[in-house]
Amino acid sequence: MAPVHAAYAPSLDKWIKSLRSQSLEASIESLIYLLKRRQVKGDECATATAHTLLQVVARSKWHDVDQLLNRVQSAGSRLARAAPNEPVIGNIVRRVLGLIREEATEDRNIDDDVGSESASDIQALTPVNAPNQQGNRPAPTPVQTLQRAPTGLAGLQVSKSMFNLFSAAGNSDTPLTGASTPLSQAQPASVHALRSEVIEGIQELMDELSQADDQIASFSDIQIHPDDYVLAYQPSKTVERFLIKAASRRRFTVLIANSEPIQPGATETPYAVLRKKLNSHGVTTINLATNALMAYIPRVNKVIFGAKAVYQNGGVLVDSGAYIAAEAAQEFLKPVIVLGAVYKLCPEDPSDETVISELGNPSRFVSYANGPEIDALEIENTVSDYLPPSLVDVYITNLGPQSRPHLASILADHYKVEDIGYSLHESEV
Amino acid sequence: MSKQAGKGGAGKGKKPAKAGTDEKREDVLQAVIIADYFQDRFKPFTLDKPRCLLPLVNVPVIEYTLEFLASNGVQDVFIYCGAHSEDIEDYIYASTRWSPSSAISPFSSLEFIRVSDATSVGDFLRDLDKRGVIAGDFLLVHGDLVANIQLDAALAKHRARREANRDACMTVVLRSVGDEPHRAAKARGITPVFIIDPDSGRCLQYDEAHPLMSDRRTVIDPSVFDHGSFEVRSDLIDCGIDICTPEVLALWSESFDYELPRKNFLHGVLKDWELNGKFIYTEIFEDGYAARASNLQMYDCISKDILQRWAIPFVPDSNLMHDQSYRKVSGNCYFETGVKVERGAKVSHSAVGAKTMIKTGSSVTSSVLGRRCRIGQNVTIKDSYIFDDAIIEDGAYINHSILAGSVVIGANTQVPEGSLLSYNVHIDSEIQLPSKPPARIAVTTDSGDEAEPDVSLVGKGGKGANYEVHVDDSDSDSEDEGDRDPAVLQNGLIYSMEGLNISTLSVSTFASEDDYESDDDMGHTGYLHSGDSAGRERLSSFTSDDASKPDAFHGDAVTGLVDALRADDNEDFDSAKLEFMGLRLANNASDTEMRRAIAVAFTRRAAEFLTPEHGSLEPSKAAEKALKDKNGAIKFITDVGVGGDDVRQQAEFALAVQKGLVSVRGLESGRAGALLAAMLQQLYSLDVLEEDGILAWWADKRASEGETMNKVKEKCRVLVEWLENADEEESDEDDDE
Repeated sequence: MAPVHAAYAPSLDKWIKSLRSQSLEASIESLIYLLKRRQVKGDECATATAHTLLQVVARSKWHDVDQLLNRVQSAGSRLARAAPNEPVIGNIVRRVLGLIREEATEDRNIDDDVGSESASDIQALTPVNAPNQQGNRPAPTPVQTLQRAPTGLAGLQVSKSMFNLFSAAGNSDTPLTGASTPLSQAQPASVHALRSEVIEGIQELMDELSQADDQIASFSDIQIHPDDYVLAYQPSKTVERFLIKAASRRRFTVLIANSEPIQPGATETPYAVLRKKLNSHGVTTINLATNALMAYIPRVNKVIFGAKAVYQNGGVLVDSGAYIAAEAAQEFLKPVIVLGAVYKLCPEDPSDETVISELGNPSRFVSYANGPEIDALEIENTVSDYLPPSLVDVYITNLGPQSRPHLASILADHYKVEDIGYSLHESEV
Repeated sequence: MSKQAGKGGAGKGKKPAKAGTDEKREDVLQAVIIADYFQDRFKPFTLDKPRCLLPLVNVPVIEYTLEFLASNGVQDVFIYCGAHSEDIEDYIYASTRWSPSSAISPFSSLEFIRVSDATSVGDFLRDLDKRGVIAGDFLLVHGDLVANIQLDAALAKHRARREANRDACMTVVLRSVGDEPHRAAKARGITPVFIIDPDSGRCLQYDEAHPLMSDRRTVIDPSVFDHGSFEVRSDLIDCGIDICTPEVLALWSESFDYELPRKNFLHGVLKDWELNGKFIYTEIFEDGYAARASNLQMYDCISKDILQRWAIPFVPDSNLMHDQSYRKVSGNCYFETGVKVERGAKVSHSAVGAKTMIKTGSSVTSSVLGRRCRIGQNVTIKDSYIFDDAIIEDGAYINHSILAGSVVIGANTQVPEGSLLSYNVHIDSEIQLPSKPPARIAVTTDSGDEAEPDVSLVGKGGKGANYEVHVDDSDSDSEDEGDRDPAVLQNGLIYSMEGLNISTLSVSTFASEDDYESDDDMGHTGYLHSGDSAGRERLSSFTSDDASKPDAFHGDAVTGLVDALRADDNEDFDSAKLEFMGLRLANNASDTEMRRAIAVAFTRRAAEFLTPEHGSLEPSKAAEKALKDKNGAIKFITDVGVGGDDVRQQAEFALAVQKGLVSVRGLESGRAGALLAAMLQQLYSLDVLEEDGILAWWADKRASEGETMNKVKEKCRVLVEWLENADEEESDEDDDE
C-alpha cells in the first residue's frame, strides 16, 4: 500500500510515464497545460519537448519529409506558445527539425552516392535509370525485383511488419534501390528508415540533455582554482553540480547569494543540501543576501551564473537579481562565468519581451498579509534578468569553455539555417 | 430527483491507464463542484447566466475551478448544478478541453448531477451520499474558486490522520492573510472565526462574525477551555476547499436541516462533537492564492489580483483558454490579438480582449474589457469590468462598475461607482445614472419577462429598468435567512456601511432595526466566565442549528407587544402577556431575549409618541404614556422584563432599554437620551427599577460603549445625580434619626 500515497499533482515524471498509455494529442495537450500552469519549467521543458517530438515522429502519420517537418513544427509551436518564456523549447524543436533535414539529406546523399556507385557498377548491365523508370521490367537480378516490390506497394499501405521486412532487406542488402526511385515520392523504405533514424537522433539529443550537466561539471577544475572565492548566484542544478565536482578536486570558498527573502517560518536555510555536500568535501560556504553582495565582490575571484538561455549575440537569460551581481563583478573586473549547455543556445536575438522580462508572483516579496502595502504599491517581481553580452566573460557549454565569438560556430553546427528564420511563436500551423 | 447521466461513462473507458484498474480505483482523487449557490448576490447578472459562467478577467469562473482541480491531479469530477444547469452543461460539453468525450480532457470522468428539488447546498450533499459514487477521499469545492495552491501535502496529512483515527473526517483548507489583510480579505462581509488547536491543527469551534453584529464578540464554548492550548483566528480566508472522507456525507444525511457547509455544517458538527465524535482539522496555507468569487466585491478583488499576477499561473498571458491570445504589453496591460488602441488613448493595468477598439483620447485604467468592445473618443473607464461586445460612445465616464455583455452606453453618459448594468442594457446619451444607491439595471425581471424600459433612468432610447434585489424571494433561499444582514453587505460591488441603511429599507424593517443588536450582548459574558448554566443556555440558543430562531422570536415578540400597546381599546395587557409567554415557550427563548424584546417594544412605542403623527409629545409625557397606558403593562415589565428584584437584572433591563432607544430609527441621540431619562424616571417612580438598579446600570461599562450609547447615557446624568443625592439625603435622614 505504500506507493498508494504518491502525490496526485501532475509532474514531468508522471507525464512521461503516461506517454505510452495516452494518445499523442492527449499527451501534447496535457504537456501544454503543464507548461501553462508552470508545473513543468526551466530545464525540464527541454526534456519534455524532446519526449513530445519523439512521440510525434514515432506515432503520427507522415509519408514524406515535408509532412514530418510540418508535424514537428506544429507540435513544437504549440508547446512554444504555451510557454513563451521558455526559449529552450524552441531550441529543441529547431534541433529536431535540423536533425530531420540532416537525416533526410543524408539519406538522399547516400542514395545519390550509392546510386552513382551502383549505377557505375550496374552500368555494364543496364542503362542508367531508364529501365527502372519503366517499372516492372524483368529485373536483371532477383534482388532488384525484391527491391521494386515495396515501392510498388507504397500506395497500398503495406502493413508494418511486411514493411519492416522489406526495408530491412533494403538496408542490409545491396543499396541498389536508391538509384531507381525518384526523391520526390519518398518511398516507404526510406520513410521508415528516416523514422528510425530520427528517433535515434532524438534519443541522442535526450542523452545530450541528461549528460549536459555532468559534461559541464567536468570543466570545473579548469575554471576553479585552489583558494578561489567563488560567488554563485542562486545556484541552479547545473551550477550545483559544477561546484560539487570542483569541490572533489579543489579547496575553495563558495559564496551563495540568494535574493529570495527568507520566508518567516522556513525551517531550512536555503541551499542546505548543497552546502552540506560542499562542506563534506571541505569547501567553506557562506550564505549571502543579495543586498550584501556588493561588499563581498572585491574579495571574490569569479562569479558563476546558471543560464536559462544564451542568445546568439551572447546575451544571457538568468535568474532575476543576477544583473546587479554581474554589474558589480564588471565594476571590480571579476570574471563572469556562465554555465549553459549547448541546447540552451538560441539561434536568435532576444525579443523585446525577453529584455523586459517575465513577471512573477509579487507574493515573493510582499506578503499577502500586508494589506496597506499592496494597496499602495505596484509590485513587479521579475522572474528573470537579461545579461547583455558585455557583462559575460566566459561561456561554459558541455563542449567546453567558449568565448563569445565562438558561439556562432556552435550555433552553425547545431542548427540549420532554414530553421533559424522559422519563428515558433507566430506560426499558426 | 432526476439524474442527468453525463457522457462521463464514455470518457472513463477511453483512458484505461488514467482511470486505473479496479483495485487502483481508490487511489483516484475525486472532486465535487458545487456550482449553484442559491444566492442573489450576482443579480442582475445571474438572471441570464449562471454565476460560474460569468467572465472573470474574460475567462468563465468555472474554468479556474476546473483548472485548479486538474493541477491537483483530480481524476473524477462531479458537478452539481441548480439554476441554469443546462447552460453549464452546454458549456462544458462544448468545451474541447473539459468535455467528457474529449480525448484531451485531464479528467477521466466528469459527470453532471441535477437535483430537481434542491434548495440548498445541503440537499446536494445528501443526494451525493445516496448515490454512493464517492469511493474515498474527495475534494469539495465551489464553482467560483480561484486558487493556485497545491494540495498534495494537505492530502497526505489528511490521509495520515485518517489512518491514525477513523473519525478524522474532514480537513478545511484555509489561507492565512495576517493582521492587516489584503483587500480580498477585507471585502468579505462575514469573517469566519476558527478556534484551532495550534499543535494538531484540529478545529475546535467555528463561528462567523460580521460588521453588523453589535458586539463583535465570539462566545467560546466552555469545552474548548478543557482542551489546553487553542488559538482564535479571524485572519483566515476560507476558500471553501474541503478534503472530505465519505463519512462527511453521512453526517450531512444525519442532519437533514443543515444547509450551508460552514455556518450550519461545520459549526454544528463541531458543536456536537461529543455526540458524533468526529474530528475536523484545518490546513492553513501561508502562501499561494486561494479565494472565492462569492460576491461582487470578491469578484472585484480577484480580478485585480489576477491582473497583478498574485494568482500565477492564472494570469491573462497564460492563455488558459484554447482560443485566447493574450500578451503582456507595456503599461502592465494584457492585450489579445487584434486590439486597436488609437494614438492618444491611454491604457494601463488592464486586460483587453480581442478585436476591441479604443479610440483616441480615452483612458482605461485597472479595468477588464471583453472582446469586440468599441470604446469611443475621450471615454474614461476606471476600475470597471466590461464584458464582450459592449459599446461605449464618446465622452462617457465609467467608474468602478460592471457592464455585462452587449451593453450600450450613450455619449457623455456618467456611470458612477457601483453601478451594475446587466446584459443588453442600453443607456441613452447625456444620462447621469444615480450614485446613491448605485443603479442596478436589467432588461429582464426575476420572472424572466422583458422589463418595461424605465425612461427616467435609461433615457428615451434606452433599454432596461431598475432591478430590485429581493432578498426574501421564494427562489432565494436559506442562506439569506441565516445571514440576511451580512448578505446585505455583500450584495453590491462597493463595500459600504453607508449604503447599508438605504438597502436595508427594501429588505425589511425588522431585520434592519434589529441589526444593531441582532446578536445581543446583554451581559452574558459574565455568565460565561463563571461557566454556569445560563451561559450554556445562552450559547445554545445563539448557536442552535436553526440560526433564524432567535431572530424569529424577537421579531414576532416585538411586533406582538407593539401591536398590543398601540391597540386603542382599554383591554387588559394580560392577553398580550399570554401571547408573549406562548411565543417564548415555542421558541425556547432565553431570559435575555425576552428582556430585549420587551425593552425594544416599549421604547419603540415611546419613540412613536415623539413623532408628529402621534402628537409630538414631550419625552416625559411619551414615557409615561407608553408605560402607563395599558393596565398591567407595568406588572408585565416587572415580572417578565426585569424578572426579579436582583440589582443585576434591573441593570440589565435598563441597559436593554437604552439599547432599544439607540436602535430606534430616526431618533436622534439627544431626543433618545431625554426619552431614556424620562423612561427610567417613570420606571423608578413605578417601582419597577430601584435606585441600586439604575446606579448599577450607570456604572456598567457596556452602557457607554460607542458614541451614541454614551451620548444617550449622558442625558441621564441629572437623573442619576438626583438619585444619588436622594440616596444621601435618605441616609442622612437615617443618621439623624
